[in-house]
Amino acid sequence: MFHNRNEGLALALPAAIFTGLLFLLPVGILLSEAFQVDDGWSLMGYVDFAKKPLNQKVFLRTLKLGALVAMTAAIIGYAAAFCITNLDSKARGRVFGLVVLPLMISPVARTYAWIVILGRTGIVNDAIMGLGLSDTPIRILFTETAVFLGLLQLFLPLMIISLVSAMENLPKDAIPAARVLGANWFQVFTKVILPLTKEGLVMGGTLVFTGSLTAYITPAILGGSKVLMLETLLYQRVNVANDFVSAGIIATILIGMSFSANLLLKRIATARK
Amino acid sequence: MTDKWISRLILGLTLTFLIGPFLIIIVAGLSAGETLVFPPNGLSLRWYLKVFTVESFRESFALSMFLAIGGTLVALLLGIPAAYALSRYKIPYGEAIKTIVAAPIIVPGIIVGLALLRYMVMPLNVGITMALFLAHTALVLPYAVRVVTASMMNLRSDIEEAAILLGCTRLQGFTKVVLPNIRSGVLAAFILGFVTSFNQVPVSLFLSGPGVRTLPIDMLAYMEITYDPSVAALSALLAFLSVGIVALAEKFLGFSRYV
Repeated sequence: MFHNRNEGLALALPAAIFTGLLFLLPVGILLSEAFQVDDGWSLMGYVDFAKKPLNQKVFLRTLKLGALVAMTAAIIGYAAAFCITNLDSKARGRVFGLVVLPLMISPVARTYAWIVILGRTGIVNDAIMGLGLSDTPIRILFTETAVFLGLLQLFLPLMIISLVSAMENLPKDAIPAARVLGANWFQVFTKVILPLTKEGLVMGGTLVFTGSLTAYITPAILGGSKVLMLETLLYQRVNVANDFVSAGIIATILIGMSFSANLLLKRIATARK
Repeated sequence: MTDKWISRLILGLTLTFLIGPFLIIIVAGLSAGETLVFPPNGLSLRWYLKVFTVESFRESFALSMFLAIGGTLVALLLGIPAAYALSRYKIPYGEAIKTIVAAPIIVPGIIVGLALLRYMVMPLNVGITMALFLAHTALVLPYAVRVVTASMMNLRSDIEEAAILLGCTRLQGFTKVVLPNIRSGVLAAFILGFVTSFNQVPVSLFLSGPGVRTLPIDMLAYMEITYDPSVAALSALLAFLSVGIVALAEKFLGFSRYV
């Protein structure tokens, strides 16, 4: 540990100034713009924004899809994480690698695949018509289902990673002990696994939830203008209507939500120490 | 025994859901036909080859490479001293500095792009490429600081102090003792930064102009006009590129320790 404080500051400040001036300052100005109506400070922009039915619908849909994706990811994540931690170490490394792999690949590529699967001439429709379940292709693309599937595939790895590391910290004997003492699997999950992996669940849940709220590509490609979410609405407001007040408001909502999620995470992380 | 099969079934289904779509993309790109379908109409490499002849893909690939490599290098130039200072000195407002540098992770990218467009590109006449470069640098900086800090933590500070006692200057102490020891951390930071920047979309959404587009944005634009398999082929190629880089990094650096 060195004690020359000025030397330390001189080394650390350039990075902070760079980010502060070129990144945070412009974002701050953008957010403040939403509070300015007719050259005065006011909350009217927010009131007008909240009154429009479309905005309400998009806001609620974004929350709903985020929550649904996070919950589904938690269910699949627990099952997968439980299986992964029970593998021998060689197989575990390999399966874990395959889970992490999609995170390294461009989200455009990851989302594009769903067009081939869900489109009018896609695999799912081929199967439905082949089985005689329907005579005409059904529309899956540009529905909430498509966006849900895309988001789930995009963010599921984050949940599995969080839960696997939580489960690795589980005492080895906890589950067999509960079983011997007569707990069924449902009780083992609710009374042993869930309480002991709560932190991993919250962490994974936060990552998946905020990821879904702030994803752009998935709702843009799989939802289009039929299934707007906050990010795609922001893009549309700016590009179609030059409406920077709405843009600033949506930006504030998005930052507020991901900031509070991160605060929650930090609190949990420090509570553990 | 049945437990084992249930476990295999669960993992099989999960991995199919996560990886399957890529396999479909790879195969759909191999189509000999004009439209994107699976299974493809006949097999050929024509779309994989066509990707290299599309002018806009080549230009946007070059831009994305420039942003990913240049931006990450600048981020390391800013981030290594910061990580060093944050782990070796007691700095006034150290926590505040950490928070500021980490902020770009929390702020949704689309907002950053819009803010830079409105308050930097338009009023100050900053070029779009420049704005993209600054945004990508700031975006990668938190990862650079975090990864380099992690590898600083594993390095005992008394080695450096010993070098200084034995006559090294502070700078020599850093270049001869610290830098060689955190080399793999720096490399890991570079790779993580490169992949993050290269795959970044939302920041670049508003920051595009005539002839200036990052590759993912260009792919989005191309998809809107044409429905041929070339985007599938390009997606597959890019997936191979990033997976290849990360696999190499894992092999030689134990990359996953840092992520």
